[in-house]
Amino acid sequence: MTEQEVIELIDSSLAEEFELDRVDMTPEANIYEELGLDSLDTVDMVIVLEGAFDFKIREEEAVRAIRTLGDIHRFVLEKVADQN
Amino acid sequence: MLSVTDCRRTAENDSGAGLIPVLMNLWCYSMLLLWTLFGILVFPFVFGLCLLFLRWPADRLVRWFIWLYGRGWLLLMSPFVRFHREQMGQIEVGKPYLFVVNHLSFFDTFCMALLPVHDVTFALRSWPFRMFWYSGFMRLARYLDVEGSSWEETLSNCRSAFSAGGTVLFFPEGHRSRDGQLQRFYSGGFKAAISTGVPLIPLCINGTDQLLPPGRKLLCPCQVRLRALAPIDTSVFSEEDGHIRLRKLVKGRMSEALEDMRSEGHSR
Repeated sequence: MTEQEVIELIDSSLAEEFELDRVDMTPEANIYEELGLDSLDTVDMVIVLEGAFDFKIREEEAVRAIRTLGDIHRFVLEKVADQN
Repeated sequence: MLSVTDCRRTAENDSGAGLIPVLMNLWCYSMLLLWTLFGILVFPFVFGLCLLFLRWPADRLVRWFIWLYGRGWLLLMSPFVRFHREQMGQIEVGKPYLFVVNHLSFFDTFCMALLPVHDVTFALRSWPFRMFWYSGFMRLARYLDVEGSSWEETLSNCRSAFSAGGTVLFFPEGHRSRDGQLQRFYSGGFKAAISTGVPLIPLCINGTDQLLPPGRKLLCPCQVRLRALAPIDTSVFSEEDGHIRLRKLVKGRMSEALEDMRSEGHSR
């Protein structure tokens, strides 16, 4: 998968799961303050990403540090690179 | 905060009596307080007696008491609020269901006493468990704290409720709507219905946003309607991401039904 394909899969999966408007989904968008996610969504977000990319990330400390959509992109891109 | 004038204006439109909102607030708040105090004081004795004679599991008994408390509240409110139950024949008593209902007001939970079933386990966020006068009852009733528990715990508690023939109720919006429109739906309830294989019944509530909207303190006379929609067989949503398809289907049906209820309300 190219970097752009990974980002597209992340964005489309999160948009579907959380009923997000793609227009608001910029890399700088804070997932809590701007995209309206909350503590209940964090678990679902991990499940969505695990399902989309077939990896396990629920135990990873780095997930807790995620604040923006760009953080998610970088985190997943690193995981995908590790897998390959 | 809602002014008495706003409330009076609504009441004048509805019934032509400006004093009604004032009387309503005096009556309802004082009776609600007395009814709650009465419930808290009497509960230990009646609970003990019922445990002894009915021999129901304690949590089921507490859920029954909570339903009765809700019924009492409906009765106390009834001089000022017209309650209507619609299409309740969709619900087969004694069968496990997962209910999802839209959320407009603090009093939505009380209105669930309009349901024909009393064994209802509420799935809630953590904050209602912090209301000290209710939290003990909620814990005894084994209500689900979906925010404070792991998903596995929530699912396991849903399974226990269903295997005992009970029902579980989720507010998929998670918060009260500020404008009466449906908000984003969380996936938890839909995933739970699919994982446990029970039918899902969407419920639509209308009118509690006029009774006590979020951020306001004064009650207004109004009409509250609770409508049950047709049960949905969740076994056909078992594919990956099936919960998203189910969630969209339910939201579409609820949105349509709420629109109908609002337009019927205006034409009455």
